[in-house]
Amino acid sequence: MAWHLECTINGSAVERDVPEDVTLLSFLRDHLGLTGTKGACLEGECGSCTVLLDDEPACSCLVLAAQVHGRRVTTVEGLAHGDRLATVQEKFVETGAAQCGYCTPGLLMAAKALLERNPDAGEQELRVALEGNICRCTGYASIVEAVQLAAREGNP
Amino acid sequence: MFHRPATFAKALAIKADLGGRVTPLAGGTDLIVGLNRGTSLGEEVLDLSGVADYGDIDTENGSLLLRGGVTFARLARLDIRCLADAARSVGGPQIRNRGTIAGNLATASPAGDGSAALLALDAEVEISHATRGARWIKLADYFLEYRKTALGDDELISRIRIPAPDALEATAWYKIGKRGAVNISVVCAAAARWPDGRLCLAFGSVAPVPMRATETERLIGTGPLTEELIHQAAQCAMTEVRPIDDWRASADYRRAMCGVLTRRLLRAVRADSEGKG
Repeated sequence: MAWHLECTINGSAVERDVPEDVTLLSFLRDHLGLTGTKGACLEGECGSCTVLLDDEPACSCLVLAAQVHGRRVTTVEGLAHGDRLATVQEKFVETGAAQCGYCTPGLLMAAKALLERNPDAGEQELRVALEGNICRCTGYASIVEAVQLAAREGNP
Repeated sequence: MFHRPATFAKALAIKADLGGRVTPLAGGTDLIVGLNRGTSLGEEVLDLSGVADYGDIDTENGSLLLRGGVTFARLARLDIRCLADAARSVGGPQIRNRGTIAGNLATASPAGDGSAALLALDAEVEISHATRGARWIKLADYFLEYRKTALGDDELISRIRIPAPDALEATAWYKIGKRGAVNISVVCAAAARWPDGRLCLAFGSVAPVPMRATETERLIGTGPLTEELIHQAAQCAMTEVRPIDDWRASADYRRAMCGVLTRRLLRAVRADSEGKG
């Protein structure tokens, strides 16, 4: 059966009938074509599918689309303003914080949530905020550096 | 059919009506892993994440009352050390933002970090039914056998009560796993001590259910935690637990770590108690 979903995605109101057992990850990618959000482990270990639900990071692979009824969803597509990248994205580019890039959207969302919540987060808090995201190209140093640079600049 | 009630009363009515045919869903951090692996959620799903006040925390006569939908992120900010540390050790931020304490108790994994911490805190669970009302049950009596609990098919977990958290003299939590985050317990353990000297000790991942180490607690009694007593308690805990071999660790390793963690917990509790004295 279908669920009549009403929610906000990247600032726009979305109204769709969705199958009841479709995950938010699949809804974003397969129904809305928002393929920036990546799926990998599908069990909450890798963080590559991270989106923000009302400003809090969540694994979109472990949430049913129907469960975000009435809520605000932000995906990596919602970070940039037109052609202008968000600060945190710019800093990822600047420090070369991506190799294969598959983990990047999830890391950007986790970092964005942290910097919105606490722009003055120290390195320890920053590492905890990113602990749910795995980068298998082992680029953590440049990722941490990118988020620190974004923090320094403000306006993540 | 997908049910998304806005009130807990409605959720209870649906559960009472459909019983075992409806699957309660909260944060989804366990159930949807199954769905992604091809296990259906069933014909009927009861989503509790739309119940507005299911994430509330209240106090009553010195007790702390957690509604079932309180997330691990919220627990991590509590002032009760063993529970906050246990909550911080669960998954990553994404999991802690979604996973709920009622979900942890209902799933009843032997490795449930929240379960072990709440056992040490002598917590009680409120189980509710639409017409029969609510009953409180000691968490120690709630876990029956592997992933079997006292929760009936037509009931839901409404609240968890932590008695007198402000009176606690000291609590402590340790977890052994493969890495520092997103880490399922190989062994986890919690201890709590009240002003009368009573000490509760609980373990996860070393028996079919999260367990209180009651024999070890009896041995410890209410007296001073001497090094001699701590050593005896560690030996007792190692014989009391019932671990198995699995791909995360061997039973022998788990048993040995119960001894190690008992020593660490009791020394931590002793240091904290002395600090307060």
